[in-house]
Amino acid sequence: MKLQAFLDGELPEREAREILAWSQRDREAASLLAELRNIRQALAKSEPHLSHPESREFFWSKIEREIQRLKPHPVAAPPRSGFAALRRWLFPAVAVSALVIAGVIAYFQAPTAAVQTVADADAPTVETTLANSDATTYRDASEGTTLVLFSYATDDNPVKKPTAIN
Amino acid sequence: MSTSFFSATRLACAALGLLLLAGVTARAADKDLKLEAQLVVGSNDPQPKGPPVSPPVEKKLKRLPLKWGSYYVVSSQQFSLAKEASKPLVLGGSEMVVKNLGGERVELTLINRGKITQSLRKDQTLVTNVKDENSFVVLRQAD
Repeated sequence: MKLQAFLDGELPEREAREILAWSQRDREAASLLAELRNIRQALAKSEPHLSHPESREFFWSKIEREIQRLKPHPVAAPPRSGFAALRRWLFPAVAVSALVIAGVIAYFQAPTAAVQTVADADAPTVETTLANSDATTYRDASEGTTLVLFSYATDDNPVKKPTAIN
Repeated sequence: MSTSFFSATRLACAALGLLLLAGVTARAADKDLKLEAQLVVGSNDPQPKGPPVSPPVEKKLKRLPLKWGSYYVVSSQQFSLAKEASKPLVLGGSEMVVKNLGGERVELTLINRGKITQSLRKDQTLVTNVKDENSFVVLRQAD
């Protein structure tokens, strides 16, 4: 490692002199140093030499400025008026309340409303009180008239037919 | 469909409209019923038996499958009924009770005979027989 650092010129002067002296004394160290030098030269020839026209500090400061420029700036919210707040919260609240109230009213009106909307809702419901009585119903839809004729069987009239009917 | 169609203001207006409509409907359904009960007698005799029924009632009665050619008013009563209120009547010797069920529906109970439940809007008329074979009760909303 020290030989590599010596070749790269990274050793202090004193250590560099020691390494140089050692390589002159020791044949193995000298051959290793020569080999490393050859490798370094070979790599230096094959590596493309890239250089940047701008200084390192200037290059990074450019990147930093670009990041700052692209960073989204917080947009100041426009001042909200009282009417806007009213529109945003009170109106929907009123609408929901109104729908709930309308729903409740519709629920409680449902039995009569349903009767009024169904086409056959005008048909009367007829109940007879006596076991031997009967009722005949006639509806004139065009005039909106309902006729209910009650009758009941007697000794004189054993057939339960209303005598008034045609 | 744009989103503005469902804006809070329009939604609120629509809801308030519905609310008013529901309120008006509910109010109409629960108002008092002003009723008229007439005892009517039918006859084929050319001699009049009393004041004739009004032309609209006569038209309705003549369209029914009854065997009388003319109809005359024997007695007439007008009364108002609140919802769930009842009114006892005696017409043509028959006892009866009229009850306002609400929603323009009435219940006519003929004592010892039977009960009729019927919607009775302005354009509707309920006719039923009483003791005599040519006597009828005509129940409708008063004009």
